[in-house]
Parts: sequence; C-alpha cells; structure tokens
Amino acid sequence: MNDKLIIETTDLTKTYRHYEKDTGLMGSVKSLFIRRYSSKTALSNFDFAVQKGEFIGLIGPNGAGKTTLVKMLTGIISPTSGTISVLGYYPNKLENAFKKQYAVVMGQKSQLFFELTASDTFMLFKELYGIPDETHKKNLDYFVDLFDVSQFLNVQVRTLSLGERMKMELIVALLHNPKVLFLDEPTIGLDAVAQKQVRHFLKEVNERSGTTIILTSHYMEDIKSLCKRCVVVNNGEKLYDGETDALFEKYQSHKKVTVTFAHETLLALPAECTLIEQSAYKASFLIPKGLTREILRELMKQNELDDITIEEEEIGRIVERIYHNTRTVVQ
Amino acid sequence: MKKYWEIIKISFKGQIAWRFDVAMNILFTVTRILFAYILWGAIFGQRDTVAGFTFQTMLSYYIINSFLSQIEMSDGVSRELSRRIRGGTFSKYMVIPANVQGYFMAQSGGVTAFYLIFDLLATVIWILVFRIRFSFTTDVTMILAAAGMVLLGLVFMVQLNYFLGILAFKYQDINLFLMMKSNLVAFVTGTMIPLVLLPGTIVSAMRIFPFYYVAYLPSMLLIGKNGEEAIMGLLLLSAWILLFLAVNKIVYRCLRIRFDGVGI
Repeated sequence: MNDKLIIETTDLTKTYRHYEKDTGLMGSVKSLFIRRYSSKTALSNFDFAVQKGEFIGLIGPNGAGKTTLVKMLTGIISPTSGTISVLGYYPNKLENAFKKQYAVVMGQKSQLFFELTASDTFMLFKELYGIPDETHKKNLDYFVDLFDVSQFLNVQVRTLSLGERMKMELIVALLHNPKVLFLDEPTIGLDAVAQKQVRHFLKEVNERSGTTIILTSHYMEDIKSLCKRCVVVNNGEKLYDGETDALFEKYQSHKKVTVTFAHETLLALPAECTLIEQSAYKASFLIPKGLTREILRELMKQNELDDITIEEEEIGRIVERIYHNTRTVVQ
Repeated sequence: MKKYWEIIKISFKGQIAWRFDVAMNILFTVTRILFAYILWGAIFGQRDTVAGFTFQTMLSYYIINSFLSQIEMSDGVSRELSRRIRGGTFSKYMVIPANVQGYFMAQSGGVTAFYLIFDLLATVIWILVFRIRFSFTTDVTMILAAAGMVLLGLVFMVQLNYFLGILAFKYQDINLFLMMKSNLVAFVTGTMIPLVLLPGTIVSAMRIFPFYYVAYLPSMLLIGKNGEEAIMGLLLLSAWILLFLAVNKIVYRCLRIRFDGVGI
C-alpha cells in the first residue's frame, strides 16, 4: 500500500439473508413452522481505492449499496467476502485505535442526546476520544464560528431544527480531527440555506485539514460542488469511477424544466423533449442540454407561461442512463 | 477511566433534565412506605412476630428492599440494546472508542446515582414524617458488607441485562427472555416476600445464584440479620461477575458479526 492510499477494497461482497413469508394469516402461521430464507447481494466484487485528502461522492439510487459500503468501511458490518483495509486496519475488528481516526455521520443515526444540550455531547466526546483541552477548545471555537451556531450550544437538542441538529452532528464528528469522514446523506431534509452552509463547511474541512471525505448523497448539487471524484453504484456494482465533471458531461444530457401556466393549457412539446408529468396549469419535462434556450424560447412564444424552473437532472435518472445505455465501468 | 466517568455524568444529567419527573419520583416513594405499612399491618394483626420478624423489622426490611430494587434500573440496558439492534442504530455504540459493556455499565451507573440520591433523600424524609421506628443495624461491618454487596449486585444486574440485550443479535425479539428474567428476579430477590418465609430447601438452592445477594441479603444485613452469610455472599457475587464478564465478552464477539444495521 502506498503512503497516500488510505482505503482499499478488493472484491468486496456483502450478502444479506432475509426470511420471506407469504401474505395473510395463513402465510404467518406457515412461516412459524417452515421458514424460507432468501439472499440479497448488496455489494458485489467491489474494488475501491481512496487517496489521502480526496473528497469522493458515492452516487446511486436507494438500495444501490452505498450505505452498505460505508457500513463496511466503518466496521459496523462485516463483509461476506473480499478484502478491506481502512487506514491500515480491518474495520470490523473495531479497534479503538482505528475508531479514533475516523468519524461517521449518518442522517438517521444521531450521536446527540436529545434531552441535553449539544455542549454536553461535546464534553462527552472530548473524553471518549481523549482530546486534549487545547485542541478541543480550538476545534470547537473554529467549528462553532464556521457554522455560526454559538446561540444553540446551550439549548436542548430536541428543540433544534433539523439543520441546526445536523450542524451539531458534524461538529461532534470532527472534534477529534478524524483522518477520514464518512457522510451518509448529510443534507437530506435540509432547506436550501442549510444545505449550502453544510456544503461550505465540508469544503472548508476538506481543504483546511486535509480530511478525506466519503459522501453519499441524492442531491446533485452536493456531488457537483464538493466531489472531484465520484463513484456510481447500482445493484451493488460499480458503474463509474472517475471525475465528477466528466460523468455529468457525458451522462447528464438533459435539464429538467417545470413550467406553470397563467391559464388552462395543453402543452405541445417538440419531439426532442420527454414529458414527465402534465396537468392543466403545470408541466414538467426533460430538454436536451444544448437545446434548452431554443426550445424554451419557442414554448414562450406559443404559450402564456406564468413561471419557469430549470433544474439539474436527478441522480437516479443519470444512474439509470449509465446502467441501461453503457453497462461499462470507466476506470 | 475518564471517559466512563463522563458517561456516568451525562446519564445522570439526562435523568434530571425533566423537573416534573424528578418531583413525581420523589413523591411516589411514599406509596411504597404506605403500601408496606398497610400490608404488613394487616398480616401482623395482633401478633408480635411473623417468621421471627417484629412489625418494625418487617417494615424496615420491606422499605430497604424496595429501595434497593428501585435503584437497580438495569432493565433499561436490555431494552435499549434490543431496540437499537433491531432498529439498526446500535452502530452508534460500535463507532465510538469505548467498550460497549463498559459504556452501558457507566450509563446505568448514572441512572442508579440519580435514584440513589433522590430516592434515599425522599425515603429518609418519609420515614421521619411517618415517625417509623426504623430497625437499622449500627454494626459498621454489616453496613459495609451490605454496601459492597449492593454495589456488586448492581454490577451483576447490568451484566445480566447486557447479556440478554445482546441476544437480540441472534433472536431479534428478546421480550420472552426479559419477561422470564423479571418474574424470576422479583421472586428470588425477595421483593415479593422475604425469602425466609419460603421452605429451607428452596432458600438453600437460591444461595447458589446471585439474585439472593442483590437485594435480599443486603436488606437483611442492614436490619442486623444474616451477618454470617456476608462473606460468602460477597465472594459468590464476585465470582458471578467474573463469569458474566467473560461470557458477555465471548457472546458479544460471536454475535455482533450478525448485525446488519438494517434501517440506517
């Protein structure tokens, strides 16, 4: 392993085993006597390498295998087969020396104590990680200032908004200067302002401290603005591993446009567009990237539009396109 | 050790976060005393002693025993472990640099400290208010032996609940185990009735198991009885603790690999 390589997996595979039962009361009774099991491969022969200081985005639809990968990299679950090394450790051994070198923030798993204040949790984590007083104070002051959350430090966590709580989670995670930070959907459910603040925070942490960050997100903006490199996962397989810009250049071929009408309108779209949904006063459709201006100009001429929203295409659609059109892994 | 001390502190802080809960907890300690007074008053009737106990020593035994049962709050350990393992959020404990059993031990310590301080205070106040002639031993050795036994008993109960909790890695639903444990513990710790009222053979059999020493024997020691069993009790409890320390370590190591963190 070279000095800069801090995460490496080879042929990493994880298979979950579930039990299945038929619907209805009889199905439940039957399953009491005869239990039927099935397996699902969440991650299959996954090769992955991360260099120190990288900011990597993991993209994929729900159930693609992103969270399973993060759970294996942090040692929460053990792989079914394959090799895995994070900072030179086998994660599932759960050694304290390893745990002190990384942090993980998962959208649905809080380290904060809801009935207490965020400051109480910060004090606990100071002792858990054996952070020296000076480092703790310096880091806490810096992160609190960066997020501008000093007024929320001494109020019960349960009274904080989702955005404020996520900021506190990130501060807790970073107090001990982790070498690697795993983030699973950190901006999910946050408003646009909070999302932007979190993105700014993460960028700063990556650039200033050189913290390696692995991020999973459904938000295109998170990936595009933060991650130079991204990995697309679907059905447990790696579909793409390379530069984020190149991925979007190649596969993000459409813009999503939503128009609202002043009057009841039946929109006639040119053949190049794909209709997503339409009602009397609203329509959403996809326009090929190069033709956006031209087609919109034409639509405005023909219809009395009330409002227009242009968005990036959803990650799910891009993944779908990569999956169906190419099935080629770009290294 | 500083990290476990901080866990004790944060757990204690969590207990006193809600003022109404604290007030009600103090207030309701009176119900135990009233209940004991009415129950044993009816049982004693015109009799001076029952099974060698006077009314005052029986009342004292009951108050001490129910107080000790009250401070033993380790049930929460198995419930929390089971809930988090089934819900997938057990990972919260896997990613922090602390021993999981130690974490739960310290967490229970914080909860127990809360009940110890506030319930003890309340119980003393009610005893004074109701002018109960409390039969409490003045023998320092007996008090120290009882205190040591209470401490070891609390540690053992956390270990037992931790053991039942981690069984959720394999069985997912551990409610049946918890129900069996609750019924067994309520009976064999003498919370329902003093064990001395049971046939001698049953009591002898119970002496092998740790539950006898968790609340029953310390209660007896504190009212000045059964002093000859103190050393054996302390040794036996220590042995059970060492046994469960090893068992829990092995069981956790074997079962935690089954955790798949569903739902996160």
